[in-house]
Amino acid sequence: MPAVIVVHGGAWAIPNNLAQDSVNGVKAAAREGMSVLKRGGNAVDAVEGAVRTLENNCVFNAGHGAALNTRGEVELDAIIMDGRTLASGAVSCVKNIANPVMEKARAVMEKTVHVMLTGQGANMFAESIGMNTVPTEMLVTQNERKEWEKHKNYVTGVMEDFNSQWAHDTVGAVAVDSAGNVACATSTGGIRNKMVGRVGDSPIIGCGGYADNSSGAVSCTGHGESILKVTLARLILSHIEQGKSVAEASRVSLKYMGDRVQGAGGAISVSPSGQWAATFTTERMAWAAVHNYTLWYGLDPDENLKEPFTY
Amino acid sequence: MDLLPVLVVHGGAGTVPRERSEQSVSGVRSAARAGYAILRGGGSSMDAVVEAVAHMEDNPSYNAGCGSVLNVKGEIEMDAIVMDGKALGSGAVSAVRNVANPVRLARLVMDKVVFYPPCGQCAFAQEMGISEVPPESLVTEYSRMRWKKNLEPGANPVESQMGKMGTVGAVAVDREGNVACATSTGGMLNKMEGRVGDTPCIGSGGYADNQVGAVSTTGHGEVIMKVTLARLILFHMEQGHTVEEASDMGLAYMKSRVDGLGGVVTVGPQGNWAARFSSLQMAWAAAQKDSLHYGLYAGEHFTQSIDDPH
Repeated sequence: MPAVIVVHGGAWAIPNNLAQDSVNGVKAAAREGMSVLKRGGNAVDAVEGAVRTLENNCVFNAGHGAALNTRGEVELDAIIMDGRTLASGAVSCVKNIANPVMEKARAVMEKTVHVMLTGQGANMFAESIGMNTVPTEMLVTQNERKEWEKHKNYVTGVMEDFNSQWAHDTVGAVAVDSAGNVACATSTGGIRNKMVGRVGDSPIIGCGGYADNSSGAVSCTGHGESILKVTLARLILSHIEQGKSVAEASRVSLKYMGDRVQGAGGAISVSPSGQWAATFTTERMAWAAVHNYTLWYGLDPDENLKEPFTY
Repeated sequence: MDLLPVLVVHGGAGTVPRERSEQSVSGVRSAARAGYAILRGGGSSMDAVVEAVAHMEDNPSYNAGCGSVLNVKGEIEMDAIVMDGKALGSGAVSAVRNVANPVRLARLVMDKVVFYPPCGQCAFAQEMGISEVPPESLVTEYSRMRWKKNLEPGANPVESQMGKMGTVGAVAVDREGNVACATSTGGMLNKMEGRVGDTPCIGSGGYADNQVGAVSTTGHGEVIMKVTLARLILFHMEQGHTVEEASDMGLAYMKSRVDGLGGVVTVGPQGNWAARFSSLQMAWAAAQKDSLHYGLYAGEHFTQSIDDPH
């Protein structure tokens, strides 16, 4: 059974000055994810590894480079899910911890009886297992501080924000390993200047992501409220369950989200048999996939570039 | 025959101790009457479910609002969700403290805020003019007793959950055919601070869509999340299953796939309804065509006139 990894770096109107870095970033993350699989890691290890790579890259809005809330602080949401057991771990509104998804969300999944922790409680749990907190300034990039100042001076609604291309992005990964297990992971800093404590779609199971060995794994990005309203990840998988291909299921679901709640976004999906897709209704989405020794990637609609992948 | 409007409420799926079963059943009947009165008067399904759930939050017998279970630190953190089936609008609060009616706060989030709400912070509540209540006002002797008991070595948290009345919730369809759901809870007994269960997670604690129906869930939160139970049941209804079949299929899957028990109240846009559970009991009541239906144990289905004072 061939292993597959797909990653995304956010669905939005990525400006040209970030385009090359975004594409390079997702390619690096996809390579890292596949390396994990080649080294004998499972799907959960692979998506964790891929998202960590994305989080550590300042060009993406997750971990480093995350957008600031109205108080000028960094608040992060994330989820990871194991399609074999449906086990999941999520954190929301965690502050001042680098790499929340990978270590924290996975720790929630593996070290607690719970599925989701929020806010202060989530922070306390992290500390209790020896995860370092870092000062806010270490997570705040100059670019984000500038954007935050700009936005503080006038009020914009979420939709306007999104449409005016200053939308948030999110990072995510899905994978199927050689044993046929699927997994997903999604991480975000949320919308710039969001209300303190806002929880978006990313950490909500079935919305930001979902993984089930019987149908596949999905990670979503885009307008969070819309993704929540249609439980996008779970919706895509329900179409796969009804017999649609991964690509068609994604397309139909994103179209529904646009028609029903006027929201745009993107999704990466993978099936247990190795079918995969990267689909979006926003102007752009940086994505990359490794399958059968080929690295696929794209940014603009219908773009499907490839190069050989050697491990 | 016109089945609208209709309201169904639940007071938690689990194992209700015999000495508490009467208050459990009378509470859901009272909440159903309160919500149905709004529907009868031409009010919206959203107003009706919020009213029914707020009623149960105020009732110290349930694990919601006053009477909520305590977290590991002996404090109360509450979750709630509302969802409107017309525009798929939704509002939720998680780990919120010192508020008497989390469901009303969740409603305000839906109405006033484009974003999702504060997790744990009361700044939003204050801005909305909702006064903070002293934490002790939400704590009952019963919850404190169960919390202490659960601190004992060898206590099994999941089993202890099932011994306490659970989450409360309601679904409704109004005369216009709009569906809505609302769910509220104090969460899991002795949970970790900041633990968020299924209740405020759209698709898990509840879901409402005019094209399909509405569901409110209760039971072991983590397993409800793993199968996104509310959304799963509605997927089955979209495939043509009845409210009962869909609810039973969802609950059966949850039991077989992730070994969890729970209960749901489900309603279709035409007014068909079901109250189903895989746990030993679930206090539930439904109001439709001026009749009140209710039960607690599997197979129970009592009926009386809605205007019957008892």
